[in-house]
Amino acid sequence: MQFRIKRWGISLVMGMSLSAGVLADGSVVDKVYHPYVEQLEWELEWRTVQAYNAPSSVESRQATHRVGLGRAVSEFLFAEAYLIGREGSDSAFSVDAWELEALWQLSEQGEFLLDYGVLFELEKYRHEEIWEYATTLLLERELGRFSATANLGVIYEWGDDIEDEFETAAALQARYRHSPLIEPALELYLGEDTRALGPMLQGVARLGSRQALRWEAGVVWGLDATTADYTLRGVLEYEF
Amino acid sequence: MSAFCRYLSVTLCLLMLNAAQAATPVIELEIRDHLFIPEEISIPANTKVKLVVYNRDATPEEFESYELNREKVILGGNKANIFIGPLTPGVYPFFGEFNPRTAQGRVVVE
Repeated sequence: MQFRIKRWGISLVMGMSLSAGVLADGSVVDKVYHPYVEQLEWELEWRTVQAYNAPSSVESRQATHRVGLGRAVSEFLFAEAYLIGREGSDSAFSVDAWELEALWQLSEQGEFLLDYGVLFELEKYRHEEIWEYATTLLLERELGRFSATANLGVIYEWGDDIEDEFETAAALQARYRHSPLIEPALELYLGEDTRALGPMLQGVARLGSRQALRWEAGVVWGLDATTADYTLRGVLEYEF
Repeated sequence: MSAFCRYLSVTLCLLMLNAAQAATPVIELEIRDHLFIPEEISIPANTKVKLVVYNRDATPEEFESYELNREKVILGGNKANIFIGPLTPGVYPFFGEFNPRTAQGRVVVE
């Protein structure tokens, strides 16, 4: 069964003509961004990604948690700051990095064949001299009740405690807008140590005027030996 | 070919495709006293339309519709462009999230 999943996933990757060019270091399973900004919005976010390997592996579980506060600073620009904590099967939880993020909406939704945005991210480890900067092109296309989204990123890592290098990463999502509360989707993540595919669900619950709770929950399975066997991810966003 | 060149090529192709967009019909809509005026607009099926929404009130309003897959805040005294469609025939409701009880409207696609 696992072999079938891997073979199907690899075929899909090759069919999308992204396999060779979209490679990134470490797991790139995180969140698929959409190229839109909602003016006046504030957002409080918790996000987790938990990767699981076979118990016999060196590290059978690795979890990353992000807590962020963001605000739309203009009609087309959203800024957010995060604290990032990590834990694993052999390490206790610690807050070990911070991140700044800016999402710039480049086109009105539906104006062109594709909707465009760009995401800028800067991450710094607290106790190590490791910096990471990423620029990610965000593309989205609406097809009736379906939405297809692509995140194509170029990452640069540098610092005394890491080898300076460029990397690339990609995340693709096909989503069906069934209802505000439940939207199923299929996601594909590609990176140097990541080839993962799996389903996710997302939705939004309105809590009143200009208040909403958005959620995402998904699982992706590794399609090759370097990717974690399976990775759980979840997002909770309080928008106000 | 490097990964950067691949991204650049894909991006340029997409931009060229976007440049080939045809002229889009324009329909104007107003927000006044927390109401959408007119509250019903008709557009042809399978046609993309540009809604120009003028907010004549002093307070912000948000044009929102799950059915149209659009959310757009329009500050008081400002206007916004909202592109909708191509759509299949039907009725697509929208509302103002700041004043949902009064600001109601619908797009009728014929």
